[in-house]
Amino acid sequence: MNQPVRRLAAVLLVAFAVLVLDVTYLQVIAGPDYRDDERNPRVIASRTGKERGLILSADEQVLAESIADPNDPQRFSRVYPEAELYAHLVGFSSLSFGEDGLERVFAGDLRSKRDLTVSDLLSALLGGDLRPKSIQLTVNHGLQQVASAALGRQRGSVVAIRPDTGEILAMVSSPSFDPNLLLGADALATRRVLLADPSEPLANRSTNRTYPPGSTFKVIVTAAAIESGTAGPETLLPDPLELELPGTIEVIRNFDRNTCGDGIEVSLQTAFRRSCNTIFGELGLQLGAEALTIEAEAFGFNQDTPFELPVLNSFFPQSSEFSNDLPALAQSAIGQRDVQATPFAMALVAAAVANDGIMMEPRLVSRIFDAEGAVLSENEPSLLQRAVSPSTADIISGLMERVVVSGTGTRATVPNVRVAGKTGTAETGVGPPHVWFIGFAPVEQPTIALAVLVESGGEAGENATGGSVAAPIAQEILAYWVLKNG
Amino acid sequence: MTRNAEAALLVGAAAVAAFGVALVNLARGDGLDAQVALTFVVMVAAFGGFHLAIRQWSPEASPYLLPLAAILTAIGFVEVYRLDRGLAALQRWWLLIAAVLAVSLLLAMRRTGLAPLRRYRYVFLLSGLLLLLLPLLPTDWALPLRGFEQNGSRLWIRFEAGPLRLQFQPGEIAKLVLATFLASYLSERQAILGVQLRPLGRYRLPEMRQLAPVMIAWAASFVVLIYQRDLGASLLLFALFIAMLYAATGRVVYLTSGGFLFGAGALAAWFSFSHVQRRVSAWLDPFADFEDTGYQIAQSLFAFGSGSLSGSGLGLGAPDRIPNAATDFIFAAIGEELGLAGSVAVIATYALLVAVGFGISLRSRDTFRKLLAGGLAFVLGLQSFLIIGGVMRLLPLTGITLPFMSYGGSSLVANFLLLALLARISHEERA
Repeated sequence: MNQPVRRLAAVLLVAFAVLVLDVTYLQVIAGPDYRDDERNPRVIASRTGKERGLILSADEQVLAESIADPNDPQRFSRVYPEAELYAHLVGFSSLSFGEDGLERVFAGDLRSKRDLTVSDLLSALLGGDLRPKSIQLTVNHGLQQVASAALGRQRGSVVAIRPDTGEILAMVSSPSFDPNLLLGADALATRRVLLADPSEPLANRSTNRTYPPGSTFKVIVTAAAIESGTAGPETLLPDPLELELPGTIEVIRNFDRNTCGDGIEVSLQTAFRRSCNTIFGELGLQLGAEALTIEAEAFGFNQDTPFELPVLNSFFPQSSEFSNDLPALAQSAIGQRDVQATPFAMALVAAAVANDGIMMEPRLVSRIFDAEGAVLSENEPSLLQRAVSPSTADIISGLMERVVVSGTGTRATVPNVRVAGKTGTAETGVGPPHVWFIGFAPVEQPTIALAVLVESGGEAGENATGGSVAAPIAQEILAYWVLKNG
Repeated sequence: MTRNAEAALLVGAAAVAAFGVALVNLARGDGLDAQVALTFVVMVAAFGGFHLAIRQWSPEASPYLLPLAAILTAIGFVEVYRLDRGLAALQRWWLLIAAVLAVSLLLAMRRTGLAPLRRYRYVFLLSGLLLLLLPLLPTDWALPLRGFEQNGSRLWIRFEAGPLRLQFQPGEIAKLVLATFLASYLSERQAILGVQLRPLGRYRLPEMRQLAPVMIAWAASFVVLIYQRDLGASLLLFALFIAMLYAATGRVVYLTSGGFLFGAGALAAWFSFSHVQRRVSAWLDPFADFEDTGYQIAQSLFAFGSGSLSGSGLGLGAPDRIPNAATDFIFAAIGEELGLAGSVAVIATYALLVAVGFGISLRSRDTFRKLLAGGLAFVLGLQSFLIIGGVMRLLPLTGITLPFMSYGGSSLVANFLLLALLARISHEERA
């Protein structure tokens, strides 16, 4: 009878061995995932009241800081002194809603490690620093303020980049929200109101909303034409009153429903300056789907762009999708139909043209430093991709300068500064158009490239164009920056 | 190991409990208070009294039982104290009551030994079934003893007389009583049950009368399952029956037919009871319905993960986030605050205690004692395995207590009595 008893004992002891294996898996291997799960109440509790590092602008304006409780110096509350101005970049660290923006992406650096775990204590013994680290942005506070003021209460976005380094100089999304209100007692009610707001203040329009780029996309079509040798600035193109779309009764017209030039022939340069849809629709058909797709991708469409914040990809259809749909190809060449771009992506397009055709990797954080102020890591500029050859970039730059001198973008003119730009007025099918301006300055040695987008025509409504609404906003931003930086 | 070494280990366990309470106090910033001394005194009184009773009336008993149980009790008590001081104060009373009952059992058996347990087996069968059915007493009748329901299972009785209100899970005691009956019954019938097999092609089918006890066991557990709607208690009971049948006969057919019947019963339960379905779906994916059915098991997993290797330290974790942490989920609380080091130590201690129980069984020459010791060791081991596996999501959760550690009077009393029985069995085999 001992045999079966021994077997029962063996089965139970094996069961206990399984428990040991499972508890080891649970606590050590799968453990960190459970420990750091956002739903773990310990994660939420551990963050409240802990000190976090500073977030500073490039010119050392404080964008986020932890302030000690006067009654309990071990307890801190998070404060965002600039409130709405940086809400979409800095984000927030809230007990109720977790972390967002750079507060989330750089949480590992910004959080204090002083939570008494054994591994942290060990690293402290080995000379590690448990205090929170701080981060400094590439964003210039003065420029951010100017950009936000220039956009005003209109819905839209401004993205400004330093072309030769990829540093983000300003990134504004409007309307915004006050992250401080998501930390306090009324956080739940505030969030409910923000979520229900039809103007979507929580959305980062700069990186997470795409819009039809409209005529700003002609920069890319022109690049394709020049790179392929199909046309140069002086090339004369036929100038019809309207472009008939192959196989349909639909037509493409110019904005003023007139011919682009004299009605016989017009140069590419003039067509670009006056943003003629008829000419660019036809040019798109001539270049063909494949050339357009390749050029759009060279400028970053359909690709993941490395960046500190999450970015929605900009979109240009694959060439195969046009094989039976030439009207769509013509419309895509003027930045309509299925073409979609974020303001961030269009700012990168302008920056690539400004930087001799080279697109630098965009970045928002310049350095991380410790509690003593010593720099721990510095974000060096790095090349992302070549969009066009230097000579093509130079030709496009010249074309864009003419847009501002005597074309659709004259209202971006900054006295005594050579400004290059391209306007866009994108039909949405419903309601007023989304209006754009992309450009850079000074042309001879660009220090800033930007994209301005105003949703649904902004305050001008139905009558809005890129030239009338977006160009003046760009003008204020470029004037401020060039005056400041020479 | 001598009796003196056993005594020293028991004092050590009491010191662990007292130090644990002191650490919890310090972690909470409460400073040291009377709780520390009180815990030490109660532990020494309970296990010291048990120890002296063994010295007196079962001097040849295995010296390993009490120290292993004492360290488990000590760790469990500290964690209960950390979670809820009110429960800890009650647990101290239960500890004393359980010790008094265990001592009384040893005292009662001092001359007769286990013989009466063996002789009056049908009394045990009847009282076991009665205990199982007690929770089905009406909740609202005139008598002070009433059944009631908790968490969807009807496992409790409540005694109310004036201000006095006592709650008890009679099923915990029923396990011991039924194990005693089975040991006695099977030790006499094993010859018949074991040999006669009717050939049927390649397979040999047991006679109907051989299968009868299995069917009875299955029916009894199924009644428990249906009327009390508790999968854990019924599985424990059923497995005990099957394991003891197997131990007595060595016939694997009992295991296979038992497994088959259990599968059928579990399937039927899954189809019939929504709370069984909820537990199964919470087991398969606790995060699918995180806010509701999966919440408890998810909180348990968070606790284990947060505990990591060395734990947060006593009083420094957040095990109070787990619903029922002091009872069913005590092991998750230990996993968080004592880490992998603590949880593996606890599992190893259970394994040792179960091994000691089986060792007593294996060394027994007498069939009754062999079966009783084996059955008790098995039920202790299986119960620990089921609830530890349940809170770790290795198994679906069953609402049973972790012996010696969970808060709960019935559980503590039953397991102290189990210790007394094992002690007496080992004494009789050596004496």
